[in-house]
Amino acid sequence: MSLLHSYVKVKARERGRALPRATVRHVHLAEAPMVFVPLRLAGEAAAPLGAMVGTDPRRPTLLVVPQPRNRDLRFQFLADLGAVLLPYIDRISRQVETVEAKTPFERCLDAPQIVVPSPGGVEFAAKLGRSSRFRRTTGPYAVDPAVPMLGRWLTFLAEQSEFAGSSLMVAMTDLLTAHWVTGQSAVEDADLAALLGWIDPPEGLTGPEAAALADDPLTPPAGPDTHPEFDRQELQKAIEHYDVTGSATQVEEALHGQLRPTWDRMWQAIGLLAALKESPGATTRWERDRVHVALHRAWIDGGGLPQGKRDSAVAAAKRLARLEAAQQSFEATRAFDDPLVMAEYRADGVAFAGEVVAVDLTRRIVPPGGKREVPRPLVTIETSDPVRLAKGKKVRSPSRPRQSATITSLADRMVTVQIDDGMGRGSQPAEGSVPGVGTVICYTELDPGESRRAPLPPREETPWTHGGPPPDYVPTDDDAAEPWS
Amino acid sequence: MNRLDAIRGGTPGQDHNARSIAALAANPACDRRAVLDAAAIDKPRLMRRLRFDDRWGQSPFAIQRNQQFTDLVKANGAAHLLRLLRTLLDLPIEEAGYVNLEDAGGNEGQVARHGHTRRVIRQTAEGRGRATILDRPLLRLDVAGAQVYLEPDVIAFQLGGVFHIVAIKSFAIVDDQADTPKVSAAAREAAVYVHALRELVGRDLVSHDVILVCPRDFTNEPTATTVDVRHQLVTLARQLSRLTRIDTILDRLPENLSLDLDALSPAQIEAAVAAVPARYAPQCLSACELSHLCRREAHDLGHLDALGRVVRDDLGGIESVRAALRVATPGEPVADDQAEIAERLRHVARLYDEAVA
Amino acid sequence: MGKLRKAIRQATAAGRHAEARALRARLREAERQWDAEVEQPATQPPLVPVREQVHRALTLLGAPTAARMIVAVDESFFGGQMANTQLTSLRRDEEKSYRSAPGARPYYLCAALTSELLSPARGLLALSTWALPQRIIGPLSPRTDFLTSAVRLAEHLMRLDDVSPGAFRLLGQLAQNIPGAGDGFGPADPAKVIAAAGAELAVHQERDQMDRREAAARATDRLGPVERLFGSGIRTVRSA
Repeated sequence: MSLLHSYVKVKARERGRALPRATVRHVHLAEAPMVFVPLRLAGEAAAPLGAMVGTDPRRPTLLVVPQPRNRDLRFQFLADLGAVLLPYIDRISRQVETVEAKTPFERCLDAPQIVVPSPGGVEFAAKLGRSSRFRRTTGPYAVDPAVPMLGRWLTFLAEQSEFAGSSLMVAMTDLLTAHWVTGQSAVEDADLAALLGWIDPPEGLTGPEAAALADDPLTPPAGPDTHPEFDRQELQKAIEHYDVTGSATQVEEALHGQLRPTWDRMWQAIGLLAALKESPGATTRWERDRVHVALHRAWIDGGGLPQGKRDSAVAAAKRLARLEAAQQSFEATRAFDDPLVMAEYRADGVAFAGEVVAVDLTRRIVPPGGKREVPRPLVTIETSDPVRLAKGKKVRSPSRPRQSATITSLADRMVTVQIDDGMGRGSQPAEGSVPGVGTVICYTELDPGESRRAPLPPREETPWTHGGPPPDYVPTDDDAAEPWS
Repeated sequence: MNRLDAIRGGTPGQDHNARSIAALAANPACDRRAVLDAAAIDKPRLMRRLRFDDRWGQSPFAIQRNQQFTDLVKANGAAHLLRLLRTLLDLPIEEAGYVNLEDAGGNEGQVARHGHTRRVIRQTAEGRGRATILDRPLLRLDVAGAQVYLEPDVIAFQLGGVFHIVAIKSFAIVDDQADTPKVSAAAREAAVYVHALRELVGRDLVSHDVILVCPRDFTNEPTATTVDVRHQLVTLARQLSRLTRIDTILDRLPENLSLDLDALSPAQIEAAVAAVPARYAPQCLSACELSHLCRREAHDLGHLDALGRVVRDDLGGIESVRAALRVATPGEPVADDQAEIAERLRHVARLYDEAVA
Repeated sequence: MGKLRKAIRQATAAGRHAEARALRARLREAERQWDAEVEQPATQPPLVPVREQVHRALTLLGAPTAARMIVAVDESFFGGQMANTQLTSLRRDEEKSYRSAPGARPYYLCAALTSELLSPARGLLALSTWALPQRIIGPLSPRTDFLTSAVRLAEHLMRLDDVSPGAFRLLGQLAQNIPGAGDGFGPADPAKVIAAAGAELAVHQERDQMDRREAAARATDRLGPVERLFGSGIRTVRSA
């Protein structure tokens, strides 16, 4: 968040309409994203109630649990969900290419993409994964083989979604707030209907008017939690009807009424996002997603065990470091890809832009620790940005991402940087390797780092052919027999 | 207190409970909530009369689940709870007494039940009696001069030690992790009980560690953990002490203010509510029944607070949407103390226009 | 199934885990078959009136017990089917019947009395044929009653040859809350439950009996026959 973001919020409030926060799309959109809108029974940790799922906006698959307290019906639901999701995941993840590198690695040609309405949907998917991945397919309490397999993939996708910039499992409200700024608070932006009301209101309505409709009792929440009034007045009776007659029709109708509006909104939102051009960074991150899917695919096919319940201390620390690196790299890449995102950093003084007013091409110095003189030209930029970077700070420019520079002096509206590399091997900087007078250029402390480099599998996910990742949690009989309430 | 009764008029009042007291502490600066609560106004009913959607009920499924789980924990002389306390507090085997305080000799009145609780708890504190698990106690707390009765799930007592508040909740702890907002809500509620019990037996005799009992993973199996509520206690004490000055707030209100829900028309109710200043922030949406009304009002007035804490802090000192945009417009006159923010906002406005162009 | 359980215990004790696992799988299969055979159509009218079902469950349990537990014991030990709701008005009906013709029946389902106020203890059912101290609920009584019932259920299981898996499950659930009686996994070992519950009972019994005898004496002294069975609602009987 930045002052710019706050200003745009105020402006959007006054306009009565959301304003853009990005000029390009910072997330990859699959050709056929799998939209998944799950609902859960109130008061339960992971009791599915129903879901609408599919890749075709006109033909959603409706899955319901007519008596959510019945354990067998819950597993039937998971098996049915597996029957939709697993063929989709399998079809895509089995097409693999080998990427030539120092250590060649595999990458899927495409990857599955599951889109849920909100972060709550991701959390619920993770819970469903946790509650099903240890299930046994033989012996007592046996479940359909699709259940544990679905559990493993849901767990994998939910874990990946924690990494900033991963597009494998995404929450629609997160995507929308990353690309638009509404005139309401973050709390209210968490409601898909209200958020979309601001961004794309129906004909003849302002943003706030459309958002107010989301508070109407007739607008169902986007889940996974249902409205208590719906539970009391519709669902309870429908479930009782099932208990007495064995017919699930009433539950199906009730849940269809709750799910369909959200389903339609999901596709409306996908349409809005699809209209934006994809950023280069998003494409690169998707490549990495495809590597992760290939690794997981191979792990499963190679007979690997399901993910453990908890990370070991070492694994947890490593994971945290990777999460942080991903976050940092994602933020920087976004700014490098998009002047509107960069503007937020300029507003806060960690980036600045302006015209080059002076260049000293002939400057040569002996760098610290060096022996002979090398070219270190100086470039002076005039900027009106409130620069808050200090002398000595390493900076980069989105127009020259591979070249690093160092701030050498800061005066009123004038910043001088020393170009440190990317000038060729000659005694003078190569032609065009230093920005010339009159060029408009932006420098920032942000460093996209890794994401600019070739996408290699992270060390922790070293294929088992090369020693493999650290030993996994081994599920026991108790895990498989873990009773469900 | 007559003044508060007069505000409520002939409509039956709605008593406080631990959750409402905790919610009160969530927004200490809101006069509206303070006055309506002190006058025991039925807020959900008020909102229904103003035709706002009632979203404050609990799902029947959640209620049922909670009841089932609580019954399980307390079954057989609270055998599950005893097992958990033995592990958590190293309770010696000898301490296994269970007393149901709901049995007040056939007297169902709150006064009698509270009297009974008081007596047994005092006896227990003095080392007379054999109760380790005190089921269904009824505590009392003075809130702005009104007596509020509070019903914690269980109070546990360790001989030679201290009392612990036990909170039984039906949300799951999966792989040792629970939903943070749910734990926070439980902690705020439990802090109210700790506070009330301390009023009764003294600060040192009640632990600030409450015992949270929840189902483990996806089972019905109860598991327990301690939650430190010191922070919640401080906030609560501050807010409760502020409430005792309710008279000061009342002095600022119109003399004939009435919120008699039975007697007034919706328009009159709305006008009366508007006469009591609110301090709306988006956090209210999850804590206060009035929030939708206050939100609409805040937006009508163009309050920046309604856009969230970040916006409010970023534009510190500017009250309204219109003022913020005026300050951001080059050439508009600004006050001296807003010169700096004006400069920054104008720069930001230019950046934005350039970038979207 | 009794034999299988014994074999499992021996295998576990001897550290033959693979064998124990295999046996456990066979036991589960046997339990399933048993369940399938025992399961009766829900529509069949009960052969025994509810008050007699409650009586036989309480006789087995040997202590004042809550409705839920009575229903569970009736189901898993006697194959009965009752709903909790059928028990709600039972005590009141019995009191009415007693008042209209005291002592006409060989037994009444009556109340347990709280030791302090001699009021009817909430939710518990007892038998009129029990000695008064047995029907008194002091602070330690819920615990001793729980342990006593666990012992009696375990003893009953040991006497029987053919026991429903439900009965073992129920005992397992109780054992989980008795230190040293079981780990909560696998079928409960009745002998272990008896030993563990007995050990804890020994800790509480003396103090509990003292409380009960004292309260019972007070009840005999101050209460009439009806109140002695169904409890006193009068506050003046409170002890000092």
